[in-house]
Amino acid sequence: MNKLPIHGLRRILLASSVSLLAIGAQAQTLRIMQSEPPRSMDPADQTASFTQVVLAPMYEGLIGRSSDMEIVPVLATDWSHDDSGLVWTFNLREGVTFHDGTALDSAAVVNSFQRLLDPARGLAAAGRMRAVLADVEADGDMQVNFTLHSPYAGFVDLMATAVGWIVSPTADGAGNLGTAAVGTGPFRFQEWESGEYVSQTAFDGYWGDQPQLEGLHFTWSSEPSVLSMAVQSGEVDVVNPLPPIFAQTIANNPELDLIDQPGSSMFWVSLNVQSDALEHQAVRQALNFATNKDALVQALLRGYGTPATSPLSPTNPAWDDTLNPYPYDVEKALELLDAAGFADGFSMSVAVQEPEASIAEALQAMWGEIGVDLQIRRLESGVWSEAAFNDPDAKAADGLDAVIASWSSGSFNSDLQFRPLYATSSWAPGGANLGFFSSGALDDLIDRAASELDADARRDLYVEAQKLVNEEAPHVLLYSTRDLAAMRQSVNGVWLIPGGVVQVAGASITD
Amino acid sequence: MRNYFLRKLMMLPLILLGVSFIVFMSVRALPGDPARLMAGPEATQDAVDDMRVRLGLDRPLMVQYAAFLKGAATGDFGTSIRSQRPVSQELSRRYKATMELATVAYFFATIIGVPAGMIAAICKGRAPDHVVMVFAILGASVANFWLALVMMDYFSVQKGWLPLLGSGSAAHFVMPAIVLGLLPMALIARMTRSSMIETLDQDYIRTARAKGLGAFQVYQRHALRNALIPIVTIIGLNFGAVIGSTVVTETVFNWPGIGRLLVDAVRYRDYPIIQGVTLLAVVSVVLVNFFAEFLISVLDPRVRFN
Amino acid sequence: MLVAQRRPLSTAMNWCLRRPSLVLGGFIVGVLVLAAAFAPWLAPADPYQQNLMLSLMPPSAEHPLGTDAYGRDVLSRILYGARLSLLEISLGVGVALIFGVPLGLVAGMSGGNIDGAIMWVMDIIFAFPGIILAILIVSILGPSLFNMLMAIALFSLPVYARLTRNLTLGLKRMEYVQAAQALGASRLRVMFDHILLNALGPIIVQATLTAGTVVLTAASLSFLGLGAQPPIPEWGAMMSDGRNYLGVALWVSFFPGLAVTITVLGFNILGDGLRDLLDPRR
Repeated sequence: MNKLPIHGLRRILLASSVSLLAIGAQAQTLRIMQSEPPRSMDPADQTASFTQVVLAPMYEGLIGRSSDMEIVPVLATDWSHDDSGLVWTFNLREGVTFHDGTALDSAAVVNSFQRLLDPARGLAAAGRMRAVLADVEADGDMQVNFTLHSPYAGFVDLMATAVGWIVSPTADGAGNLGTAAVGTGPFRFQEWESGEYVSQTAFDGYWGDQPQLEGLHFTWSSEPSVLSMAVQSGEVDVVNPLPPIFAQTIANNPELDLIDQPGSSMFWVSLNVQSDALEHQAVRQALNFATNKDALVQALLRGYGTPATSPLSPTNPAWDDTLNPYPYDVEKALELLDAAGFADGFSMSVAVQEPEASIAEALQAMWGEIGVDLQIRRLESGVWSEAAFNDPDAKAADGLDAVIASWSSGSFNSDLQFRPLYATSSWAPGGANLGFFSSGALDDLIDRAASELDADARRDLYVEAQKLVNEEAPHVLLYSTRDLAAMRQSVNGVWLIPGGVVQVAGASITD
Repeated sequence: MRNYFLRKLMMLPLILLGVSFIVFMSVRALPGDPARLMAGPEATQDAVDDMRVRLGLDRPLMVQYAAFLKGAATGDFGTSIRSQRPVSQELSRRYKATMELATVAYFFATIIGVPAGMIAAICKGRAPDHVVMVFAILGASVANFWLALVMMDYFSVQKGWLPLLGSGSAAHFVMPAIVLGLLPMALIARMTRSSMIETLDQDYIRTARAKGLGAFQVYQRHALRNALIPIVTIIGLNFGAVIGSTVVTETVFNWPGIGRLLVDAVRYRDYPIIQGVTLLAVVSVVLVNFFAEFLISVLDPRVRFN
Repeated sequence: MLVAQRRPLSTAMNWCLRRPSLVLGGFIVGVLVLAAAFAPWLAPADPYQQNLMLSLMPPSAEHPLGTDAYGRDVLSRILYGARLSLLEISLGVGVALIFGVPLGLVAGMSGGNIDGAIMWVMDIIFAFPGIILAILIVSILGPSLFNMLMAIALFSLPVYARLTRNLTLGLKRMEYVQAAQALGASRLRVMFDHILLNALGPIIVQATLTAGTVVLTAASLSFLGLGAQPPIPEWGAMMSDGRNYLGVALWVSFFPGLAVTITVLGFNILGDGLRDLLDPRR
């Protein structure tokens, strides 16, 4: 008997079991595909849900949100405010380091917020924080005080969003945060091959539970059918957002899971209240009556949405489900137009981005029924945002009467829905009040609600605000979409914050 | 003949100068302000102005053009507005990916187009000829993005035979190369057919055939030259169209080439990238055309250029 | 009498049978023209009439080719779309012809610096990959059917200018042209009577062969969002719209795609036939 072969075999067995073990222990990389590339690696320099999905595993705020949507401590261990509600104190977690080795201390936190307060930095999302936060200063090494302009009920919610994520002061000073993320999250930035992918690896020095995955790999495609094919073919593990047309296909596929939950993305047509016909409230109401929202949801979203009955989405706690101001009623619309002196209809233009062009096309036919000739300007996103965010004079010169847009920031904090979209101070280009709506009563309601710290009283004010906006009809409110995503059945631990912000940091893959 | 090519060679810089001017000016004529795009929709006017200075877009147009020309002459196309990396660095990797894809596409086109054209010529007027020609025309008649998506659905999603997206392995080349190579394949097949028919019609060949040599054997004697001419001609004439259709093909297949880069750059008004990609594409087309003409004149002494 | 009548008929039949490409291509293009002309009578529904409740219905008796995302009848839209395709071809090819042929003629006749200058500009345009030039132009002017067609016309301009110039150079050397010139025929007369008329054949063949390319390029530009704007029932726009429902509602993009393919095929076959007829040397 020759022993050598057995010995050899044993060695091979040994080696293979070792490598098997290694595969078992070596967690895999989760591949996520979205519909658009990230806009920046700096969380304060973007306002896009799908960018936040990419950044979320790498950054953390002082506070955050758990999978059951509760506010939870993250980089702060506790926080409190004084009696006036103006000064908030956060105590920082000990022993946290950024991916570049910098320690998390009060100076780092102050730097992260000071850059938002500096208008010269021109950070895209900074305006939201600047409107609320007056000053931030360190009190000792591990304590930070925030001073607000006035009491703000939504402060905690705001701090839990991406604009409140803490960035490494070292990386910020070097000025390359926009292209290479450095935060404290469970995953560290590895590579952003612009136009292709973003890769991240698990961060060994993470203060919390070590992630189960070895890495994350984000890619994107603007082709809706490619998104669906990518997850069906097994080439990616998670697809976000899933176009509604493919939801049924995914749900019927035993290898795939459909994530389907109420979303916070509201879609609306902003009407320029300074342009000819649209300055009449009756005309704006007529357009609302002439819009068959159920049909839009059925045809464009294949039913995966909720017709809008108020400026808030159903995920918002202040959403009033008793409202339904504009049921589809062509007769009523015609009467209103007649009363306003537009019995023969009129012509108006609307700017829309490529992915939402289908809304415009459907509205064109619906409003044609009441004699409104809708001229569609289908624009690339960059050109669209320039046209949409023009000031009143530029819009008049451009002859732009309406803009189709969506907004998903107000899922928890109604102020982030009402103020940017309807307040007089938010007129474009400074804010997203794209149609220059102005109502002293509403401005007052928004301010009062924002500084009302009692939840019930605040909800009452927001209900009043919903009714007021509905009545004045500065927008044609269309629908809120359900958040749809698809993933391989083998993926666990993926969850979603309304607005399409998929959370993948805690995911694992079982085989 | 030599004069012809010398003159053409001397025209090259003039053509590139004209092209660079058109590209530079049209990029500036694009609606949408890159400074505002970079600064974000909620930025103040001051922030936008700062951004404009930072990007060097506040200088007079002719100064910008001169700076651009000077840089381009030394291979420096500036810095991408979006990725903040040198354009030349972004381009070189992307260009390599596009050229690899185009090469494989032409390879497919050749290995299928040449034999198909030969069969059609030998069977001129009979069924195989018609079949080949109908397929050749059909191949050139389908919208590429649609074909790409349908192939992806069938070969990747339903059958699982081929990878769906991206690059990295030989299998990744198959679908994009077929989509890209279909048009040159059709053209090569047609041209191979007509050139072979012409050759077979010549007196000395008829004599050879009368002596009992088969059509294929006769053709083989002149095979290399006769097969190469259509290939070189089509690649030379068609190269611009192929580079153009990479825009669509690469977008659908997530191929990391210059076509997809251009689409993204136009979307985000990344001026330096648009300029770089366009110039690079034009230089490639001009050079490939030039060398194709030169090669043809070597291969086929009957062709005269003037 | 009877015999005499049958003869021309059978000669015509023979003539046609010897030119199958011409007949087949002519037939396909003829059907296209008829579909365009009689679209209002042939179409079962209004191509613009939406019915969101009937969105993405598969082919049925009422909607033989199904409905699109807005519940519009796909067949009706394809029939009306034939008009746009013909318009595209006539504009895209026509504009290129109207400018390209005279440019080539002048370049070929004049020679020297004029020739050099015209051909320099043409070489510059020709150096651009067509789609890339179109992306630049349409992005500047804004997406519309007309702007897209102008872009297509512009990048096909050099093809006609070059072809006409080369034909002119060849014809100029012909004995009969030189004889006419020697006999004192005016430059213009020589240009039109002798050169343009003789060059027309190859130019028409070229125009027919590129007609299909126009429709295909239009589809590619629609895919990039640079084509006809909604709700125009342009085939490329319909395909590009319908691609988002692939795998669920294939008919929305398949039938417009089929129409495009048949049209391109028809013009290509017709072009081949015309070449055999007008340019028998090749």
